[in-house]
Amino acid sequence: MDTSDSEGDSRKSNNKPKYSKFSQQELPACKPRLTPGTVVVAFSLIGVIFILIGLASLSASQEIVELVDRYDADCVPTGDKVGFIQNSETDKICTRTLTVPKHMKSPIHIYYQISGFYQNYRRYVKSRSDKQLRYKNDVHVTKDCHYEANTDDGAPIVPCGLIAWSMFNDTFAISVNKNTIEVNKKDIAWKSDKNNKFGSDIYPSNFQKGSLIGGAKLNESIPLSEQEDLIVWMRTAALPTFRKLYGRIETDIMANDQVTVVIQNNYNTYSFGGSKALVLSTTTWIGGKNNFIGVAYLTLGSLCLFLAMGFIVLYMVKRRTLGDPTYLSWNRDTLDHRY
Amino acid sequence: MGEDHGSSRHMSASQKELGDEDARVVRVGDTERTNERLEYAGNAVRTAKYSPFTFLPRNLFEQFHRLAYVYFLVIAVLNQLPQLAVFGRGASVMPLAFVLIVTAVKDAYEDWRRHRSDRAENNRFAAVLSPGAATQFPPTKWKHVRVGDVVRVTADESLPADMVLLATSDPTGVAYVQTLNLDGESNLKTRYAKQETLTTPPGQLTGAVIRCERPNRNIYGFQANLELEGENRRIPLGPSNIVLRGCELKNTTWAIGVVVYAGRETKAMLNNAGAPTKRSRLERQMNRETLFLSAILIVLCTVVAALSGVWLRTHETELELAQFFHKKDYLSDDKNSNYNYYGIAAQIVFAFLMAVIVFQIMIPISLYISMELVRLGQAYFMIRDTKLYDASSDSRFQCRSLNINEDLGEVKCVFSDKTGTLTQNKMEFRCASIEGVDYSDITRQQPAASDRIWVPKMPVSVDGELVELLTDGGETEQGRYAREFFLALATCNTIVPMILDGPEPENKVINYQGESPDEQALVSAAAAYGFVLVERTSGHIVIDVLGEKQRFDVLGLHEFDSDRKRMSVIIGYPDKTVKLFVKGADNSMFGVIDKTMNSDVVRATEKHLHSYSSLGLRTLVIGMRELSQAEFEEWQMAYEKASTALLGRGGLLRSVAANIERNLRLLGASGIEDKLQDGVPEAIEKLRQAGIKVWVLTGDKQETAISIGYSCKLLTNEMTQIVINSNSRDLCEKSLDDAISMVNKLQSLSTDSQARVPLALIIDGNSLVYIFDSYLEDKLFEVAIACDVVLCCRVAPLQKAGIVDLIKKRTSDMTLAIGDGANDVSMIQMADVGIGISGQEGRQAVMASDFAMGQFRFLVPLLLVHGHWNYQRMGYMILYNFYRNATFVFVLFWYVLYTGFTLTTAITEWSSVLYSVIYTAVPTIIVAIVDKDLGRRTLLKYPQLYGAGQREEGYNLRLFIIIMMDSIWQSLAIFFIPYLAYRKSTIDGASLGDLWTLAVVILVNIHLAMDVIRWNWITHVAIWGSIVATLICVMIIDSIPILPGFWAIYKVMGTGLFWALLLAVIVVGMIPHFAAKAIREHFIPNDIQIAREMEKSQDSHDATHPEIQLSTMARA
Repeated sequence: MDTSDSEGDSRKSNNKPKYSKFSQQELPACKPRLTPGTVVVAFSLIGVIFILIGLASLSASQEIVELVDRYDADCVPTGDKVGFIQNSETDKICTRTLTVPKHMKSPIHIYYQISGFYQNYRRYVKSRSDKQLRYKNDVHVTKDCHYEANTDDGAPIVPCGLIAWSMFNDTFAISVNKNTIEVNKKDIAWKSDKNNKFGSDIYPSNFQKGSLIGGAKLNESIPLSEQEDLIVWMRTAALPTFRKLYGRIETDIMANDQVTVVIQNNYNTYSFGGSKALVLSTTTWIGGKNNFIGVAYLTLGSLCLFLAMGFIVLYMVKRRTLGDPTYLSWNRDTLDHRY
Repeated sequence: MGEDHGSSRHMSASQKELGDEDARVVRVGDTERTNERLEYAGNAVRTAKYSPFTFLPRNLFEQFHRLAYVYFLVIAVLNQLPQLAVFGRGASVMPLAFVLIVTAVKDAYEDWRRHRSDRAENNRFAAVLSPGAATQFPPTKWKHVRVGDVVRVTADESLPADMVLLATSDPTGVAYVQTLNLDGESNLKTRYAKQETLTTPPGQLTGAVIRCERPNRNIYGFQANLELEGENRRIPLGPSNIVLRGCELKNTTWAIGVVVYAGRETKAMLNNAGAPTKRSRLERQMNRETLFLSAILIVLCTVVAALSGVWLRTHETELELAQFFHKKDYLSDDKNSNYNYYGIAAQIVFAFLMAVIVFQIMIPISLYISMELVRLGQAYFMIRDTKLYDASSDSRFQCRSLNINEDLGEVKCVFSDKTGTLTQNKMEFRCASIEGVDYSDITRQQPAASDRIWVPKMPVSVDGELVELLTDGGETEQGRYAREFFLALATCNTIVPMILDGPEPENKVINYQGESPDEQALVSAAAAYGFVLVERTSGHIVIDVLGEKQRFDVLGLHEFDSDRKRMSVIIGYPDKTVKLFVKGADNSMFGVIDKTMNSDVVRATEKHLHSYSSLGLRTLVIGMRELSQAEFEEWQMAYEKASTALLGRGGLLRSVAANIERNLRLLGASGIEDKLQDGVPEAIEKLRQAGIKVWVLTGDKQETAISIGYSCKLLTNEMTQIVINSNSRDLCEKSLDDAISMVNKLQSLSTDSQARVPLALIIDGNSLVYIFDSYLEDKLFEVAIACDVVLCCRVAPLQKAGIVDLIKKRTSDMTLAIGDGANDVSMIQMADVGIGISGQEGRQAVMASDFAMGQFRFLVPLLLVHGHWNYQRMGYMILYNFYRNATFVFVLFWYVLYTGFTLTTAITEWSSVLYSVIYTAVPTIIVAIVDKDLGRRTLLKYPQLYGAGQREEGYNLRLFIIIMMDSIWQSLAIFFIPYLAYRKSTIDGASLGDLWTLAVVILVNIHLAMDVIRWNWITHVAIWGSIVATLICVMIIDSIPILPGFWAIYKVMGTGLFWALLLAVIVVGMIPHFAAKAIREHFIPNDIQIAREMEKSQDSHDATHPEIQLSTMARA
């Protein structure tokens, strides 16, 4: 054997693959395995952690005080709702009174909630020109808007598109116990949008001049980057029922205080059977009032603990020695006398 | 290629009767007239597929042969229609463009390399006779050489084209060529220039005309004749007169020839066509699942289209005023015209088509390119495996086909050639039977005397008694026949002796070069006994007979062919007697031997032959006849007539040979040993344990085959042998019926007893002829599958393919054929997987194979280790690719239900096109290349683990359905947990989309991570890196101010709810997979799982007892 080896070496054996741990597939590797221990520990650990998170988020959610007042039906006369809302001459003021059940700590967020409004409808969500909103030189780039893009004589509408055109235009004036409270409408939009997405040198023009009025009109002397209601509105909602921030109240409201809201009911949700509501809410780390996440975590945590117990029982009932060769199918076959 | 070999070669030649008008006319030295009709190819070659101009169209055309790519193209085109534009232009074309470009770059690089080698080849210089000159050969570029040119080649030069030899430096016209580049055979072949042209200066040959066959692929055949100017005689030219492009001239100072085939018409180039591409079984099965996915896709699209119709119908009256619909076009003059609204029916159709566009990645576009990359990685590991390297031939494993790596893990039936595959094909002369006396006693064997002048390179041990008989017993009858016997061995062959300087000045080493290892062994044996073949030219041979040089004229030679199974030479002795020596296979020889002449000897020899073949020796029978002058002359006339025939020459020569090869006197027989390759018995045992049936197909005699069967543990003593060797169809049928009833009886007996009686079927080529011609095939199949071992002996090359086909047609079993010679080519191509052994018999088997390696025993690591890995990896990768794309599509689908069925995606379009090519592509490829379910040691220790692949446990419909259900569950978790949490909130589409993107990517990567068995650093980098890369990509996309989702990811990541939801999604998504895995692994473990646990305990054992591990390593 030795002689043949040396002969092999003396001849050119340059084809011999070089040995490396990689090429021989022998890289050091760890081989985690699902032993009964790891399975039970994993489930128990997840169970405990989830129950803790669930409790924390549930308590955070319980802390939040949220008032929801749906006003669309009560703020129009019975009969031709669409006709009423479309008529620009009628008085659309509507006064609502709410009682605060619990102490609300400032800042209290004021949202409007619309349902049945598909801000994610394809022809709607695509109808915008982000270039036009951002760059002065691109104000004529209205191609992407498709609708409400240019006026009859071809001048670009700024901002163009269905989204801007359909901007929400109800207003809320709030007083607590007959004392008017100022609604802070500053910084309701994302700072990034104000600074980088909406140009500070672009002013609305030709806006809402068409034959069909979609919603709010804009003050043509304020640049887009300061039009915070527009910016909020143009962050299109993901789902057909959504809330948008209207403003903030910077003072606390005590329990049992009477909150009076004077609503200018301008926005037409009647044409598509949608609803409108006013929401007053405090916030914590979890955002708005949201019991779902807490309940979900508690359920999941319990399920995992239950599974852990189940596995313990199963492992106790059906024991198996790990790596016992008698379990190999061919060893079992000889016992079964198959064939 | 297969049809060029074996007996069919002669058939086709003799059946085709071509007239002169079909022949190619070459005018020697006159290229103008030769090429005036511009029908012959020039000598420039082109192996490159593309030119810079044709690259784009041709490459695209080839790529679009994949149906999936056409599908993606159609979708990209659909997307360009304004009504259907779901994605932006760039995003819609990106994925297809990406895979096309990656493939195109790969192809372009390969083609560039081919261009480079073509250019180098075409610009080499050859010495070409300048027109009109007598002996001037100015250098000419190869690409300018044309048919009809006279070319001079010097020693060690390559031949620029296929040329008929006109003259060589050797006075007898011999030239030696090495055909290494052509067929890989390293021995020298002799070629001859015709006597008639030998002495004429090349310039004066102008005007001679060669008529030859049209260009064909047969490198072993050539038919032509030469007509010299002013002579009416046609000189026959055969395969021995032509030298082929790609060969090198050796041991010859110079040679002059005329080009007859050039460029792409040369035999070398015609043989260059690649093997037909095979597709792996997994890939074929994958098509079934692709169809299922298409069905799911259509269902999803139909649901969306139908619901969108319903929605539009119920909201029809509201559409005009709803701010988000804005149905009327107020800019139009017609106040009633609609904007982008064509009625409900049209909207439904649009919705359907848009749904197809949005959900297109249900069919994973990156899967095909991933599979190619994975196979590349697997091929790398197979080629680099030091355990598949053969030191004796210095050859690595070769992956010639890159499409069927994973088939290696599913093989159920191995068809193996014997000679050169199970054995080394290094023949050694063992024993002889001369005149009925057996010289095989091992005790008398001794090394050949070393004090001789001539030392054959191959050492042979000799029988002392026989040596004595030859040297001293010259006058006895026995001694005379013994001399004739060895003279026959020394003359009756086509061996060329090459004389080299020996280690000591007084003796010379003779290297016998020839195409047949058997002949080399016989000639070496003759030399060892004192009959040394010293010199061979085309007309005579010189033999050193017991120290005295004698010259014999070779008057005629009938080459070996597989129909006659014998060869003969006609030798003119120095004393003018003429003798015919014939050697051949015993069944063919006993038909032409006159048994009345020495019946005792015949009987004794038959007995000896039987005992030789029982020892596993290859036997040859030698006979002779002295020819009378009249007989010789009659033969000579017939022979000349036959050999000058341009057409049907092979058949004519065969009948001339048959006429003279008769009434022979039996001289004796020889036994040659062909040693088993290393590790063959062990390898066969392992393969059998792995549940792989091994069939051996050999051209040897039945006894030889059985004895080899025993020595390589294919046959064992417990086996019941069923032997079928019959000479007629009826007898065959009867033996098959008997066999079937026997099989049934044994099976009914063994159902209740513990040990089953193993069966072996032994069948010979004759019976196969009858069986394949008739309805008996089914019966043979029935017997064959009941047997553990099948041994086919005396089979012709095409029968080998027929046997493979027998199994392939009737079962779905994966077949593998392994062989080393040209006769195995048809079988290798027929089988699902063809493996070539790069051994002694040239490279034809390798050229036709999918994989090539040096030793039979490498089959074990190849199948049991690499095959297993390849199969498990590829199977999982395909399933995973289906799963991860489906999960993403389902998430998109659930969202569509909340958008008024308008195919809006919350996930940005860039994320959805990058998802399958960037976000999740790398980990699955890496895992499919480097993950191992079991270690090499375990797989080799328990060959039964291979059964997982045979039972298709790594990829099947059940696994597909399970993983699809998992996919649906996970998509539900991904979609609905955030949905329920964010209902009635301020969440915007982009933020929710980003959450979904990250959730999908993390979930599918964790799913993969949970299935990874061995974590090394590469896996860690790929999986966690991929998640990080996704996050970075999402951040980059969200940093572009003119996209609607600007800054969303940064905003949403700042909220606690985001992280809480992500965690909940991952846990909810993984619980079923995790729990099912835990249950499966512990309560219903499969073999692989048990073996893995054993491996683990072995590892920990090794860790606590390192010294034991070291000692086992040392032994290994």
